[in-house]
Amino acid sequence: MNEDFTTKWISQLKKGTLSFLVLSILKDGKEYYGYDLINEIKKRTQIDIAEGTLYPLMNRLKKEELVASKWVEQESGIPRKYYTISTLGLHTVNEMKTYWDSLNTTINAI
Amino acid sequence: MKFKEIAFRESNSKRIYRDYIARIQQAIKTLNAANQQEILLEINSHIYESLMSNPDSGREEVAHLLDILEKLGQPEVFLKPLVAEKKLDEATRTFNPFQVIKALVLNIGNGISYIIFAVLYLLLFGFLFLIGAKLIDPENVGFFYRANDIFILGYYRSYGVTHLEYEKLGNWFIPVMLVLTVLFYFMITLLLRLKRTLKS
Repeated sequence: MNEDFTTKWISQLKKGTLSFLVLSILKDGKEYYGYDLINEIKKRTQIDIAEGTLYPLMNRLKKEELVASKWVEQESGIPRKYYTISTLGLHTVNEMKTYWDSLNTTINAI
Repeated sequence: MKFKEIAFRESNSKRIYRDYIARIQQAIKTLNAANQQEILLEINSHIYESLMSNPDSGREEVAHLLDILEKLGQPEVFLKPLVAEKKLDEATRTFNPFQVIKALVLNIGNGISYIIFAVLYLLLFGFLFLIGAKLIDPENVGFFYRANDIFILGYYRSYGVTHLEYEKLGNWFIPVMLVLTVLFYFMITLLLRLKRTLKS
């Protein structure tokens, strides 16, 4: 087996599906701050992501208006930035899910 | 909202933390103050929440902090796409040429279109350069044209032969170059802005 190739492929796949994962977690309407979101990804998927990469991704999702964010002051004096999914984000994640499911069916049929 | 340093028990933790914060600041210093603040606050919050939600059960504080920072990654690396994207946003909003150049350099690896933008920018500076050249050497710099034969925008003199008789713009050379520069400038910035809007 070409392990190098597989490792690269897995890393690309993880990178490509991260936005789908994040939107899927936000889908239920709950608010999450960055660290919280990373923990949720780990808990639900056992995928270990490079934590720093979440922040550029969140910025992009926000720019595309798929999520909204707000700062909330904390007693500690260190505020949290909470993210929520937008209506457009909900539509998008549903579309992604449909495609994902059909891809899954196709791959399983091969 | 203000940046607040996280308090540590051990002085070594504090040193490591401050060093990491300094690396973040260095990595984002090209952005405007508001964007810098936003990124710094968010990463600082991540470090703080990691420290709090995962209490160091018997572990040394330094080891715990090092674990957190290692998982987060090197700020110069993971912040790179974020800085490039935010810089482009800033640049297309301001029309400031230095900002646009910085943004293009940061985004050059992000696709062929940015390379085209960079080439267009180079042309723009070419026009500016020609204005200076025309002032220094008015005879040999110009727009030389003869159908199916000569098409030169710039400098021409070869073995004492000049193309003076084919120069088309004369005293209009400098104004035309100025107009081209301004035109290119607005065109590039508006195209960049359009590209950003279409993407989102």
